[in-house]
Amino acid sequence: MGTLVTASGLVKTYGEVVAVAGIDFEIREGECFGFLGPNGAGKTTTVRMIHCVSPVTSGTLLVGGLPAAIDNRALKKMTGVIPQEINLDIDLTVKENLIIFARFFDIGRAEANARIAELLRFVELEAKASAKISDLSTGMKRRLLIARALINRPRLIVADEPTTGLDPQARHLIWQRLRQLKTQGATLVLTTQYMEEAQQLCDRIVVMHQGRILKEGVPGRLVEEEIGREVVEVRTPPEDDARVLAHLSGFDCAHERVGDTLYFYCRDGHGLMKRLLELDLPNTLNRPATLEDVFLKLTGRSLHE
Amino acid sequence: MSLSYRIAYVFLRNLYSYKRFIVPTFLVSLVEPLFYLITFGVGMGAYMGAFGGQPYLNFLVPGVLASAAMMAASFECLYGTYVKIVHEKVYDSLVATPVSADEAVAGDIAWGSFRGLISGTLMMVVALAMGVAPAAPWRAVLLLVFMVFVGILFGSLAMIVTSVAPSFDFFSYYTELAITPMLFFSGVFFPLDKFPPWMRTLAEFLPLTHAVRISRGLFTGEPVSGLGWRLAVLAVIAAAAFTVSIRMMRKRLIK
Repeated sequence: MGTLVTASGLVKTYGEVVAVAGIDFEIREGECFGFLGPNGAGKTTTVRMIHCVSPVTSGTLLVGGLPAAIDNRALKKMTGVIPQEINLDIDLTVKENLIIFARFFDIGRAEANARIAELLRFVELEAKASAKISDLSTGMKRRLLIARALINRPRLIVADEPTTGLDPQARHLIWQRLRQLKTQGATLVLTTQYMEEAQQLCDRIVVMHQGRILKEGVPGRLVEEEIGREVVEVRTPPEDDARVLAHLSGFDCAHERVGDTLYFYCRDGHGLMKRLLELDLPNTLNRPATLEDVFLKLTGRSLHE
Repeated sequence: MSLSYRIAYVFLRNLYSYKRFIVPTFLVSLVEPLFYLITFGVGMGAYMGAFGGQPYLNFLVPGVLASAAMMAASFECLYGTYVKIVHEKVYDSLVATPVSADEAVAGDIAWGSFRGLISGTLMMVVALAMGVAPAAPWRAVLLLVFMVFVGILFGSLAMIVTSVAPSFDFFSYYTELAITPMLFFSGVFFPLDKFPPWMRTLAEFLPLTHAVRISRGLFTGEPVSGLGWRLAVLAVIAAAAFTVSIRMMRKRLIK
């Protein structure tokens, strides 16, 4: 499979503020590539450069072999954008939103009508074709954003936190649709703060923090490498740490104290639990390690606002 | 500048959105000039008798026409555009398509001008109904073409203000300090020749003064003193304002 997006030494600054501090990555044709990171990590800035609405400060960014630039209409024509913020045209109906977008992409009337019918079916909004945007639920609005992004049959789909604020049903429907698009051959670029979303959708991810890429890899393998297989959480006061750790001597696992919880990262969570039960601790939990653990380990547990 | 036929798509988008507001906006564009015509034209005009050999209404109508085009285009490019940028995020979705930010802005200026044209046309209809007609029918058409140009000029000027506006409140500086004074000091309601000389000189610096004179000449058929240079001044201001507004809006929109 070829490479669709190549970034090297990619930098974006706003005045003194460095949003993206020189990153390199490659996105292959046909894969789903995820940018993970806390708020302000530079994910959205990066994808905005990829879909040509934010100029690159320095470094190179090639999409389909062409430099990503504001006025690169050829790139904009082959890209579909599912924005983070719901920016549907509230003065227009559902169908009119799609009609006018088809015009923006130079799609003729007959073709647009066929495409719109097909897309409304795809996102399950046929019944809402003449509804006002204000009458849609958040989930419906997000689905309409997807339909709108697909009007030009994009080769590259950029989805910036596409399921923010949705209930589980709506979120799962959107995941299904995004996976379906990938099987149809589109390349997906996703940003998300939801680890589950990354695990559900992405073939490869990068974890970003403060404008840099901390880690790159396949979601499942990253969890193995960074955390291990299981996590045991023990909710005890810090005074107990010495006693608990002494009791566990000989066990091959890393530990970390965060607030009211002592975390253990290990292969054999079951064995560890057994040993812990001997201590008669009130509040222990054994669970599989997730991408969220990787994320918190890499980006720290402090709040990012 | 990155301008193409796609300007028409932005205009079309506005037309779609306008469908829903067509009746109220028609009424609003009609009410204000209608008030001017009734209060100044009929009410006050009754005390004034003939104005340079013509009824006062014939003097007033082309002036109000030009100012109505100015107002409609200005307000559209101030409030209308601001809402589309900040509240409705229409510009955000536009620039992610092959439509450029420059085309989005140009399309909105064209739209502002169109709103001015609608106001002008409605005014003309009202004036005709009141028995106030231009010297020849073709003059009405030419006058409306001129209104399109007036709309582009004032729409572009307003767009410059919008490009730096941090909030809605900011617009009142422009409307109170530029639009309103122009309305009263550009010879819309009375000739400027009774003003002291310094005020007359000042008035010559207001673009609406030239627009009103040309508009009046087109309507009444009387020769306009300095028609050529007045047109040239307006063309230069319009071209400069258009270019600057697009540059400045690009700064606001693309980061």
